[in-house]
Amino acid sequence: MRLHKKSTAMDSLTSAIKSNIIPNQEYLLQGSVFDSAVEVLLHRLRGLCDNVDSGPETFHDHEMCFSMRSSVQPMLLRVRRALDYQEMPWQLRYIGQNELGDKSRPTIVRNSIDIGTSSTIVEFLTELGCRMDFEYIVRGYMFRKGRMKITVSKIFKMGQGKPLESVEPMSQSYLVELSVLAPSGQDAIAEDMRSFAEQLRPLVQLEKLDYKRLQHVA
Amino acid sequence: MQREEKQLESALDAIIMRVNDLKNSIGSMLMKLEHEYETLHWPTFLDNFALMSGHLTTLSKMLSHEKCPPLRNLTVLPLLLSPDRDEELMRLTEHRVHTFSHDLVPDYLRTKPEPEVEAKMNQMEHKAASLSYEAAQKQITAYVKVVTNVWEIVSKAREEWETEAGARSGAVQTSSINDTHTLVAAVGMGKGLKAVIQPPVQPGPQGMMVAPVGRPGTGGPQQPGTMNPNQPGQMGAMGKAPSAIKTNIKAATQIHPYNR
Repeated sequence: MRLHKKSTAMDSLTSAIKSNIIPNQEYLLQGSVFDSAVEVLLHRLRGLCDNVDSGPETFHDHEMCFSMRSSVQPMLLRVRRALDYQEMPWQLRYIGQNELGDKSRPTIVRNSIDIGTSSTIVEFLTELGCRMDFEYIVRGYMFRKGRMKITVSKIFKMGQGKPLESVEPMSQSYLVELSVLAPSGQDAIAEDMRSFAEQLRPLVQLEKLDYKRLQHVA
Repeated sequence: MQREEKQLESALDAIIMRVNDLKNSIGSMLMKLEHEYETLHWPTFLDNFALMSGHLTTLSKMLSHEKCPPLRNLTVLPLLLSPDRDEELMRLTEHRVHTFSHDLVPDYLRTKPEPEVEAKMNQMEHKAASLSYEAAQKQITAYVKVVTNVWEIVSKAREEWETEAGARSGAVQTSSINDTHTLVAAVGMGKGLKAVIQPPVQPGPQGMMVAPVGRPGTGGPQQPGTMNPNQPGQMGAMGKAPSAIKTNIKAATQIHPYNR
């Protein structure tokens, strides 16, 4: 019986993959804004985005990035938990390689798979042989505009035995990300993202950033 | 005589062309006003004005050009007036004028103001001419005073506006590409988040961060074992206190030789 059930689940998953309805592509633009200008940006986003009445959603998360060193290119798995809603499930996320594409493509595209988990995920990953590569605290605001998600967040370094409240910020800026999760091949949304990013200029320059080049930037 | 006629013809052609340009730009602006009033921006609207003023300038330049025959010496004589519809005239005027009748012709061919207006103008000119020098001087001073006052108000407002705009353009730097790179590299690759191992000077809470040095690729002799005792602590690390415990363990593992 159980086997049967499992196979049907597998079947529906396969058919979902085949009919290309799984949103596993993330379209992404990134930028940053100085702490001093974040209020202006939030104000503008409040005006531009859908959740006008309720205001922006806040979040306060802890993210741990695990790597599995099976090949030369390490596979990264991200575990995220909400510090402000501890009863919420944890989240495991796989992010693939960034595809920059040529100039005509407005955004980065990368594979992205999310799944809700319990808090034992860390133990599970460790048992699998994954090792925690780095971790950080992220706190900020989230906006919605149609299918687009906009986060404005501050990244904090962890550790040094300090309590979570006194973590050290990475920089004097907020990270701004504009992303959409969509099934593959829906490139039209990237155009919408470009025009939305255009509306945030010159406050924030949302761009597609080449991670390979970042590795060499000091 | 022939030469003059030719000149007149070419001048008229050129003038008609310019007038058509002007007409078109006015027409396109009216179109915009009527159909795009919801999306019309001030800059584009003002561009239209600039275009028109450009056309007007070329037109007046052309009229004052020395090669242009003195048009005011020429007369337009209506030879035949008729109350009937004139299809040809309609075509020429884009359906604006239907008949060439006694009713409309005086308005269209008028070269002088209406007699009443002309009389009023004369009256004004006479009044201006009869004004005494002192009175005129007095009025000029008063006028200058008013203008200076307005000028001051405007320039003061402009100054304020410009400093405000300047302050804004000074604050235009609201983001830095370096910060973007730092943050993206940190979130994406853990750059700056992975702790650099330093031999702990004093054991205890001052110990380094959880993750041992190893970067992906270096593949040094990592201690997967060190993670394990750590994890349960992590899991419990909902609050702040456990993180201290966690680092304690870490620091300890680094000191104890059996782990190397």
